[in-house]
Amino acid sequence: MIAAAWVCLFSPLAAAVLITLGGTRFPRRLTGYLATASVVVAFVAAVVDFFAVINRGDSDQQQISTAWTWLSAGSFNVGLSVLVDPLSVFMMLIVTGVGALIVGYSVGYMDGEDEERRYFAYMALFVFSMLLLVQGGNLLMLLIGWGLVGLSSYLLIGYHHERPAAVAAAKKAFIMNAVGDATMALAFFLLIQRTGSLSFQSSFDWAGGETGTWAVNLVALGLLGGAVAKSAQLPLQTWLPDAMEGPTPVSALIHAATMVTAGVYLLVRAAPIFEAAKHVQELAAGLGAATLVMAGLIALVQTDIKRVIAYSTMSQIGYMFLGAGLGAYANAMFLLMAHAFFKALLFLSAGIVIHALAGEQDMRRMGGLRRYLPNTYWAFLIGALALAGIPPLAGFFAKDSILASALAAGTYGQILFVVGVLGTFLTGLYAFRMVFLVFGGEPTPFVQEHLHRPDRSEPWLWMGAAVAVLSVLSVIGGWVQVPGAWSLVSDFLAPTVESVVEASGSQEFLASLCAVTLGAAGIALAWAVFSTRRLRVPEARAVRTVLEHKFYFDELYDAIFYRPSVLLAVALRDWVERPLVLGSIGGIGAVARKASSELRGVQTGLVRTYALAIAGSVTVLAFVFVWVK
Amino acid sequence: MTGWLATILIFLPLAGAVLVWLLPVGRFAGPTALLVALAEIGFWINALNQMNFDKAGPAPNFDQRWSWFSDLGVSYHVGFYGFSFWLAGLAVVVMAAAIAYGFWVGRDRPSAYFGLMLFLTSATVGVFASQDLLLFYVFFEAMMIPLYLLIGVWGGPGRLGATVKFVIYTMAGSLLMLASVIVFGLSEGSFDLVSTGTSDNTWIFLGFLVAFAVKAPLFPLHGWLPDAYRESSPEVAAVLSGLISKAAVFGFIRICLFKFPEPFDDFRVLVLALAATGLVYGSLLAFRAQDVRGVIAYSSLAQMGLITIGIFAVSTAGISGAVLQAVNHGLISATLFLLAGTIERRTSTGSFDRLGGMARGRPALATMLMLTGIIALAVPGSSAFAGEFLILLGVFGAGWGWAVAAATGIVLAAMYMLRLISAVLHREPGSAVSEVALDLRPAELGILVPLVACLLALSAWPAAISGHVLGPSISPGAPQERHLTRPNDQPPEGRMDMVTMGPGR
Repeated sequence: MIAAAWVCLFSPLAAAVLITLGGTRFPRRLTGYLATASVVVAFVAAVVDFFAVINRGDSDQQQISTAWTWLSAGSFNVGLSVLVDPLSVFMMLIVTGVGALIVGYSVGYMDGEDEERRYFAYMALFVFSMLLLVQGGNLLMLLIGWGLVGLSSYLLIGYHHERPAAVAAAKKAFIMNAVGDATMALAFFLLIQRTGSLSFQSSFDWAGGETGTWAVNLVALGLLGGAVAKSAQLPLQTWLPDAMEGPTPVSALIHAATMVTAGVYLLVRAAPIFEAAKHVQELAAGLGAATLVMAGLIALVQTDIKRVIAYSTMSQIGYMFLGAGLGAYANAMFLLMAHAFFKALLFLSAGIVIHALAGEQDMRRMGGLRRYLPNTYWAFLIGALALAGIPPLAGFFAKDSILASALAAGTYGQILFVVGVLGTFLTGLYAFRMVFLVFGGEPTPFVQEHLHRPDRSEPWLWMGAAVAVLSVLSVIGGWVQVPGAWSLVSDFLAPTVESVVEASGSQEFLASLCAVTLGAAGIALAWAVFSTRRLRVPEARAVRTVLEHKFYFDELYDAIFYRPSVLLAVALRDWVERPLVLGSIGGIGAVARKASSELRGVQTGLVRTYALAIAGSVTVLAFVFVWVK
Repeated sequence: MTGWLATILIFLPLAGAVLVWLLPVGRFAGPTALLVALAEIGFWINALNQMNFDKAGPAPNFDQRWSWFSDLGVSYHVGFYGFSFWLAGLAVVVMAAAIAYGFWVGRDRPSAYFGLMLFLTSATVGVFASQDLLLFYVFFEAMMIPLYLLIGVWGGPGRLGATVKFVIYTMAGSLLMLASVIVFGLSEGSFDLVSTGTSDNTWIFLGFLVAFAVKAPLFPLHGWLPDAYRESSPEVAAVLSGLISKAAVFGFIRICLFKFPEPFDDFRVLVLALAATGLVYGSLLAFRAQDVRGVIAYSSLAQMGLITIGIFAVSTAGISGAVLQAVNHGLISATLFLLAGTIERRTSTGSFDRLGGMARGRPALATMLMLTGIIALAVPGSSAFAGEFLILLGVFGAGWGWAVAAATGIVLAAMYMLRLISAVLHREPGSAVSEVALDLRPAELGILVPLVACLLALSAWPAAISGHVLGPSISPGAPQERHLTRPNDQPPEGRMDMVTMGPGR
């Protein structure tokens, strides 16, 4: 079990190192195969761990293995350790399973790119980092994985490094995540000060005895800072849409299926801390609810196909935050899994569209693609239906379980339930706006121009296979947990986290009824507006402007953080550094040169002058010595 | 031989220098110097094998003492503690890389040049090994002489102005220190650092503090820094920022902290404030610097501020982190300056408005700059992250406000490092970047890869340094024991865990 965990962790890293060292000695294709193989190996190892965990008794389902002491100072020690328990195995399966499909898809997608090798090295590095995040045996290892996924995300967003937009987006993502890392680190310092260690167990035990104190609230707040930054929730959400500058499989793996859901993982993993800090946990749920509505609204006016999906990711993670924040941990993890399937599916199908249209992402130039890409259309449709929560697809079971839990979680939960149900309407609307704009109607001239050539038709083995598997998973993935019948996810995760809210049968029913009705209403509205064109989009210029500017968050942060720091830096440079620090010494230098030219007269060349000077100095020194003594 | 290792480490390069100066080696001066530098690394590794980091008693490892001026209490006394041994290791590695780079590029008057480099190696190791104040002062000054020449003779077009500034600043610091050394030695009756007790004389302490603050440099005493780092040749800049600044780290810990505990406490807040200011100030200026060396220079100012924060946090975590970060920063800034040199050789400029797009067709250069840059910005998991984490943890105990300020500095570090990486590697090729792709040559890789490999090895196991900084050896016989560890069940107090006694307290 432990050996498999280490294999799982280091297999992708080995591939990344090998590809980097191999450089141009490796054929391009080989690097793709190598990266895929390493992730498949990791997946197999995760499956081994899965069965090991299932076959163990409830008592020892958690194992920590330490390789060596990574950091130590005095009595403070942190080991490089991995943790195998149901929660980490659950995440390992998602990361390596979906990861293997997407890396395999990339073999087809990136074929013929200039710097394929670099791409696959980064992808393998990402999978390693993500595994370290979910397998980390203590909070510091978690933070390291946390930072390294941010790094791989930076590298992959900026993969097309000759494009200024990509470089800027990469930097933005990294720096916003660095802010989150910093708040997490500060929370850890407080934890270390209180408990002397960063192990999960001691932190949770401490939190259990400190319910409601300011210390535990601050720790939880610091962790929440990291979570909202990584998961692109309010108020640190602005980097995610820009991150779509990366290649599409990257968006599928990192900015949809795995990395951005790390915040949810953290909320669930550190549940004992958040439960001791009830208000912070409720804040997490509230931020999730606010994000899901905001992102749903913005998605309505986006014209870039990938950005629509990006906003829908933000919105879906909002649901997960809502669930985890209200204590429905298993349901949040369930949606995390289902979302990984259908969101990866949406991105990869969108990737096929973009690939077929030679990189075009603007939906206004698309249309009628159903005729040219029928299989992709079906895959995309499945993804969109699952996203909108239509039964019996994966999104239905997962999202409704969260909404039902919200109903069961008191007044605050019921308020958030209303928000969440409103979100399902928006989801249906924006998802099918996208479907109809891209696939419906008559082919535009742009589409016809690009798709009459045979080489731009439906895709080939690597891409097609991944999309097919994900389509199936998006359909059946939700059946693992059916209310009233069985609850495999909750049961599996129970040894690690017990959900604190349990919805009754009638609440489940009510939630599903509302969500499906409103979701279907959203789809119907999208159909009326964007397919049949019976309804016109209302003008509402002011609303539209606000939405198109994404509620002005970018402008706001630019004005209150970026510009002032640039101004401050320039002011310091021009008014402090140059005149005071550098200039003053220039003055001293001039004086010194002048003094030295006058002192030159002292160099008489006469030995007796020198002897006199030496004798004088010695006398002075002697006086000093005697006086001091 | 074990007892002699410290002495060997000090005098082997000096012997090499004399050899290079006196014998007619001519154009073989470079290879000779490089061989000596590599032999020096060999001896250091040998010493590492025999180093006892858990040595009991106040005496250092490889302790060796001969009376020099017995009536004044001056002796030749050398040896290594954990922290000084790592700094010496940094010295031998960085100097070897610098010598190799100088040899590869080719410098005028090679025997003079490489002799000076070896002399510098000797003096730097001597600084870290000294256990006698006067001996320390001698090495400290001996370290400066070759630097004046290396900047003033072999530097860039503005080298004279840079040298004058450098001389004025360091001379001022040195004079203050000399006064402090003399007064301390005479009042204690001995200059020996191990056998003398502590002093509570604020004025003596201040003399040392200012001298080291200039050397670090600490804001606002960094007026010499931008010009010196810009005008010297890349390998000298690498030595200057990577290595020479670490003499201040040694001085802060070995002299200021361990010999003057009470004045140290009195001035702690002031120095922390200056260091934190320097951290944020340097980071902001690095963020707006217009050339490669400007970014590295001001990031050095910021990093030295951070390291100083770690030392003046007065906690085990802070000091361990400071020493780890000193080694990290030494390796990082040496690598970055040498990389700046390779970039300047290819484009004849370091200015951002003429650079860009160098990643295309130069995978080795891009990988090296990227790796060093992301380690420098302390991405979690890197050795720099480990060092900064411990420093912040240490200073968090002294007051969470310091930790927040330092954390701000670290976010700013991400901003200026990413800006540097992008400005050189990304976007469209700049006007000075030629279409003809010239990647790093094997020789350049041979110099840079070992430095980066050291950083990666430290990233895999930062505890190698952070766990072997102070050791129990430093505590016995202490007049007032401060807590090294705080039992878990005790409620926390102001500072989390105090450092134990210094050597010879």
